[in-house]
Amino acid sequence: MNSGTAKWQRNVFIASFIIPTLLFFGVFTIYPVLQGLYYSFFDWSGMSDNKTFVGLDNFKELFHDPIVWRAIGNDYFLVAGKVVGIMAIATFFAVALTRFGFRMAGFFRSIFFIPNVISVVVIGVLWNFIYNPQIGFLNAFLSLFTQEQVTITWLGFTNHTIWMLLPPAIWAGIGFYMILLIAAIQSIPASYYEAASLEGAGQWRQFRDITIPLVWEQIKVSVLNIMMTTLNGSFVIVWIMTEGGPDNSTQVMGSYLYQMAFRQYHFGYGASIGFIILVLSLITTIILQRLMRHETVEMS
Amino acid sequence: MIMKKKFAALGISAILAAVTLAGCGSSKNEASNSPSASAPAATESASAPASETASADNAVKLTGDFEIQYFVGGYGDKWWKKVIADFQAANPDLKVKESGGPKINDQMKPRWIGGNPPDFVYIDGAGLNDRQMVEDGQLEDLTEWLKDAKNIDGDLITDILAQPAQQFDGKVYNIPLVLNSWGVFWNKALFKEKGWTEPTDFQSFLDVSDKIKAGGITPFIHTGKYPYYINGSILYPAIVSANNNDFSILQDMAANKVEAYESPAVLAALNKIVALRDKGFIDKASIQINHTDSQMLFLQNKDAFIPNGLWLPNEMSKDIPEGFDFGFIPSVTQEAGGKVVANTSTATVAIAKNGKNKEAAKAFLQFIFSKAQASQWAELSGAPSNIKGDISSSNAPNFVKDAAKYLTDPNTVVIPTITYNADVDKAMMDATDALTISKITPEEWVKRVTDVVKKVQ
Amino acid sequence: MTVIKNPIAKLIFYAILFVWGISVLYPLLWTLLDALKDNQQFFRNAPWSLPEFPLLWSNFSYVWSKYNFSTYFVNSLVVTAGSTGLGLLLSATTAYVLARYKFRGSSSLYLLYVSSMMIPFVLALIPLFFLMNSMNLINTKLGLIVVYASSVLAFGIFVLVGFFRSLPKELEEAAIVDGASYYGTFFRVMLPLSQPGLITIAIVNVLNIWNEYIVGTILINDPSQYTLPVEIGVMQAEMQYRTEWGPLFAALFITIVPVLLMYIFFQRQIASGITAGAVK
Repeated sequence: MNSGTAKWQRNVFIASFIIPTLLFFGVFTIYPVLQGLYYSFFDWSGMSDNKTFVGLDNFKELFHDPIVWRAIGNDYFLVAGKVVGIMAIATFFAVALTRFGFRMAGFFRSIFFIPNVISVVVIGVLWNFIYNPQIGFLNAFLSLFTQEQVTITWLGFTNHTIWMLLPPAIWAGIGFYMILLIAAIQSIPASYYEAASLEGAGQWRQFRDITIPLVWEQIKVSVLNIMMTTLNGSFVIVWIMTEGGPDNSTQVMGSYLYQMAFRQYHFGYGASIGFIILVLSLITTIILQRLMRHETVEMS
Repeated sequence: MIMKKKFAALGISAILAAVTLAGCGSSKNEASNSPSASAPAATESASAPASETASADNAVKLTGDFEIQYFVGGYGDKWWKKVIADFQAANPDLKVKESGGPKINDQMKPRWIGGNPPDFVYIDGAGLNDRQMVEDGQLEDLTEWLKDAKNIDGDLITDILAQPAQQFDGKVYNIPLVLNSWGVFWNKALFKEKGWTEPTDFQSFLDVSDKIKAGGITPFIHTGKYPYYINGSILYPAIVSANNNDFSILQDMAANKVEAYESPAVLAALNKIVALRDKGFIDKASIQINHTDSQMLFLQNKDAFIPNGLWLPNEMSKDIPEGFDFGFIPSVTQEAGGKVVANTSTATVAIAKNGKNKEAAKAFLQFIFSKAQASQWAELSGAPSNIKGDISSSNAPNFVKDAAKYLTDPNTVVIPTITYNADVDKAMMDATDALTISKITPEEWVKRVTDVVKKVQ
Repeated sequence: MTVIKNPIAKLIFYAILFVWGISVLYPLLWTLLDALKDNQQFFRNAPWSLPEFPLLWSNFSYVWSKYNFSTYFVNSLVVTAGSTGLGLLLSATTAYVLARYKFRGSSSLYLLYVSSMMIPFVLALIPLFFLMNSMNLINTKLGLIVVYASSVLAFGIFVLVGFFRSLPKELEEAAIVDGASYYGTFFRVMLPLSQPGLITIAIVNVLNIWNEYIVGTILINDPSQYTLPVEIGVMQAEMQYRTEWGPLFAALFITIVPVLLMYIFFQRQIASGITAGAVK
């Protein structure tokens, strides 16, 4: 076999494994997305035959749109809240269910994942019933402890209503990251912990000095994943629960994009919001990766 | 030519017309005209026209596919099913396809965008905005056609409309089919039981609300998740009342005139909402709930008043408790002795500009804008239709008849349908919500909305 | 394994686990119970109260018969299976090459796929519609399958590249020495070895696709082609005009059950799948 044909064979193999996927991906993902980005330079209602090229006007307008800023604020609030909430609780459960020798650990592990298999649409509807001021679960529960009927409008505060979207988001997100971390912790050789125990390290020190450094890679992946799914996907639950209201107080970028493109007939403007989401995701990813980089410990 | 064929088909028109028109028909058209030439004989009997025109319509032989898009909301779909079946029976060669449902507007949107819309559209529900559709060139210009279009009974359609079609730059694109009114509902039975007076103006509304509140019931609930309910039932009528019953101010608002929004009448109206808010009349739950939730609370007598539209009783028919008796007034914000202001809510029908069977669509318009269909609409969907006529003898529910009375009363100021720019509309809804939860002042409401108006001008 | 010895700490930990356990299990029970109520009961009784007799099982048959669920179920099944399979094949091939072979542009290709995960997909909806329309794939299951398959490629490649890299190179080298072709090595050696990774991707994709709503709503407007979530969306919209909380909960329950069953059935594979995918 001469090296020429070998090389050729190798190239054919690579091409046959790369090109179909790339073509498919190009046609059904890249092309529509680029097309969508292209529209961000137009004033277009999305229904009309007329598109007017407006250059960067949409972006200029975005900059002066107070709702955009609120939406960005809400997005990052959700990212921060979910990262802290999910990672804290998921890590706690992961450690508790692996390191503490609890009975029924397997049972808890399996049921804690359940919210992850349920459609976001269903979760949104369920939580709407929890928050419902009159027939909702939460107020009825609180009323057990008070003289008067509690009638808090959980989704209707003057400000900060976005806080109320955090519990369903965290509740629905825990399971996946918990399983991820459990797997990581279980792959840490038991000898590490035994050695630490012999040196007199307690649970807390073991957690800090062994668990955290050795699962740091998974934590990093989880944080990045939470950030991306929140910026790109949090609008589904927002849309189902509040439609961004009241008075845009729960608007996130995705829901505002949807509102503008499909409800208020500014498809070009909506596309430019999408552009901004993309840019923000990229910047945030880079920043987060920088922040979390040097603490990785290789296990071998 | 297409239009003329239609006229010939009407059959009701004078023999002369039929004869002259026959002259300019194609060979196919001539053939189809022979039955209509014999039609006038039958018109002598008063009861015959409907069936006669049906057969005359057949004479034109509407063929091909004909697709109707209709939104199914509070009015249900019984009338649509019936009228489409009737139209199909009258035109056996036409393949009528119905695309209806509560999400149909979203579902069909891609087809409108893709230049492949249905032929005929009923514009109602979220996701369709007639003003936007006109601006986007989606709707057929009906101005010329409507000038002398007659329905299957031979009446000029413009003559029998209770509310005229809205004009966009002097042109007509859609015709109101449903005439409904925003207003305020209460439970007459509850009021009788408690000895409360039914409101007739703003002062009496405030007075009775005080009593209601003292009686431990929240006076007022609205649909905060969709604030167009409170805007349509309270704010807009209040603006007109404060503007000496002159509704042109709303039309100016719709035309994006900033001065209209800055008028003292708008502030006066907003201050009425503030009055309700500051007296604690507005149910705190309002801000986060949708229409069915707010309506259920109202039906459970947890709240005394609800701003809504006349479709409410029909929409909630399954959940109306025994003995519940709807009271209704189109507006509560007028001064004592002032005129009642009825803000109409019309749902319109239109023909798609890119539709493939405009001929059938126009025939369908002529078919549905008839007295027979009007009373059938009132009966099957529990709402007044936009066709003049006495429905007192029909099977329509009583409150529909009452409402129809209101709308035809000379002492009622009837606001025609006005569609606002989508951005301005959204800004007004958000601002009203913010106002009801004390987030902003009326002045800030005006500021916010005018900022948006200036942007869209 | 270090066991917690302090009984108070142990009690607190157990309490936390139980509270969370209830928070994830109770909504399922609640959904079932509320599916058996009529509207009046929602108002009269506390949310956690048991439904009154007679139990309204008719709520289930009502949503079942009024809406043609068997069709939607099959549609969902076909679409989910088709797109998951297609997505797996396309991502596994590319991921393997990216993990094992260096060629010009390989790292930027990897970057392209990975960074595309950050793209907000809403942006692509309208162009996607035009594209599918021009390819006559609107209102077809095939249309949904190709779009879904394409949408899961990036994630699949991201995870599988990591996975292939973690496999020892010796195995391949041995296969090559034995005279296996590139393709043979991939299909007969690497693919079976990467089964845990493939399962991870498959499970995650199945769950996502089964529950997907927005793309389905845009690309399908023919009721005979609806998937389950699209139908739920339509139903939910109808519920806005007819308050039928009982049937709404019945519908939610019906939607949850298949994925729940799938989870119970494949639980071990899911756990080991995520394990395999996440731990390098």
